[in-house]
Amino acid sequence: MNDRLRDIGPFVPGRDDDLLICRCEEVTKGEIRQAVHEGMFTMPEIRRYLRCGMGLCQGQTCARLVKGIIASELHIAPSEVEPASSRGPVRPTEMSTLGNEEEA
Amino acid sequence: MKRYNLIVVGAGPAGLCAGIEAAKRGMSVIVFDENEKPGGQLFKQIHKFFGSKEHKAKIRGFKIGEQLLKEAAATGVEVRLNATVTGLYPDKEIMVKHGDGMYHYKGDSIIIATGAAENMVPFENWTLPGVIGAGAAQTLMNLHGIKPGNRILMLGSGNVGLVVSFQLLQAGCEVAALVDAAPRIGGYGVHAAKVARTGVPFYLSHTIIKAEGTDHVTGVIIGEVDDHFKPIPGTEKQFDVDTICIAVGLSPMSQLLKMSGCTMEDNPRRGGEVPVVDEYGETSIPQLFAAGDVSGIEEASSAMIKGKMAGIRAAYELGFCKETETENSLEKCTADLDSLRQGMFAPGNKGKLIEKTEEGIPVSMNLLTKGFVADGEIIHFPGVTSQKGIHPVIECTQNIPCNPCQDACVKHCIKIGSHITSLPVVENPAPCTGCGLCVASCSGQAIFLVNENYEPGFASITMPYEFLPLPEKGDKGKGLGRDGKTVCDAEIIDVKSLPAFDHTNLVTMKVPAEFVMKARFFKAV
Repeated sequence: MNDRLRDIGPFVPGRDDDLLICRCEEVTKGEIRQAVHEGMFTMPEIRRYLRCGMGLCQGQTCARLVKGIIASELHIAPSEVEPASSRGPVRPTEMSTLGNEEEA
Repeated sequence: MKRYNLIVVGAGPAGLCAGIEAAKRGMSVIVFDENEKPGGQLFKQIHKFFGSKEHKAKIRGFKIGEQLLKEAAATGVEVRLNATVTGLYPDKEIMVKHGDGMYHYKGDSIIIATGAAENMVPFENWTLPGVIGAGAAQTLMNLHGIKPGNRILMLGSGNVGLVVSFQLLQAGCEVAALVDAAPRIGGYGVHAAKVARTGVPFYLSHTIIKAEGTDHVTGVIIGEVDDHFKPIPGTEKQFDVDTICIAVGLSPMSQLLKMSGCTMEDNPRRGGEVPVVDEYGETSIPQLFAAGDVSGIEEASSAMIKGKMAGIRAAYELGFCKETETENSLEKCTADLDSLRQGMFAPGNKGKLIEKTEEGIPVSMNLLTKGFVADGEIIHFPGVTSQKGIHPVIECTQNIPCNPCQDACVKHCIKIGSHITSLPVVENPAPCTGCGLCVASCSGQAIFLVNENYEPGFASITMPYEFLPLPEKGDKGKGLGRDGKTVCDAEIIDVKSLPAFDHTNLVTMKVPAEFVMKARFFKAV
């Protein structure tokens, strides 16, 4: 799956490439498709490369869409795409709050 | 750091039920929820639930929520609101954001019941204000009393799309169309039928091509799709709407489980990334459980049972509950869960075209593609009979796990039997008094009382009615068919609203006798 030498065909521009997919970080469908052709085959890679899913909603809206776009570019099922990792804080938290540890 | 025997994340149906079962058995329990109100999605559910008595059938969702909160308080479950669990760490330690501080808690066991988030579909201009999730529409209407829009297009014909469309109509919105890319309606036929008979058109095998508008939605263009879900040029249809509602499924919010390190899988049948769990919801990490939508998308009734099972099992593993008591309780839960997972909409039947009911009756294809059973099809079903005098006509045409109508009739005119998905049969209508309890008990609003010989040349039809303003005796209007089209003149002859009906009003209209099996809704003119 993650064999980067695998031929996935050339990048073919699509009519809906300017469709916004990650609203928080303003990443378009075309940018995600292009990134796959540049060798980003997994959710963690796409996330670091384009920042999609790194904004306020933390991928709640776009993660599924991004996965679908990567999968279709790689001609595989979305469930086969390597998923993003998950770490705390799982909800957006201000640094001032995160650093303010209190006794329950 | 504070310790509890059980920490539950999420105060929805699964989380509350888990907490209650554990607390009943003597565990110290705390439930965290990031929202300002507990209950999860239950308080948005103003419709009556399906199932049997054990599943709290014919009780409205928000009433079930109120019952659960009462039980939680009575059993000593602590519920902490506005408290976001931001992380789940080794040795069952969690970090909670509350106000502007972070708090640490440790549990002997943890149950994650964080539910699910709505899926979105991107189309041109999908980021315009006015494109909202169906859940958002429900939150606005049913929690805050705000109309989401005036004229709305709904995308998605699963139960969420159908139920929310009906609620939008109840809130006084106009639903311009109900659209789904699938070739067949995904949700219960009875939910579709109650929307269709008000006149909402269904467009199956259609999808949204674009939203119109510059700074907010002013319209939408839909188009028919081919077998590969690609729009067919030339099939575009335009609607002036100010809101587009999206109801295209849910994804489990499983981030906490994923970060805990328990074994996960991406399982499209369960809605996305979910933990691998045993029959009680226990993950690969001992004493870490998942219950409800977070471990696979289902609905609130099964979430409650799964929550109970996790709570009971957690209590057993920590020694709060003896083996035989545990086995008995879990057996009961398993039986309840099994009965919910039967019929045409059972998890194993997802996506399958079922052409015949369990009774061998052809399933109405009109119902699956247009939202209503055609006049010629309805007579094949065992609840639909022609009799002298007043009698129930039960337009229940799919095998779903639901049976309140059977108990509603004190004269035993209606029979489902022990098999909960069987279609109701009008067995012996002679003693029918026209009390209307069956009409009000049907969560699918599929029961009508008809009197074919109301007066010479006229018949009466009593229907469930949950809209405001209520028609009044003497009001004249039109009788609409199952397809929502005008079929005849109609006059209201009775309106009943008894406490036993639980806000399902019974409206009786008089129509010319030949329309007795055709007219199913009243529209004032």
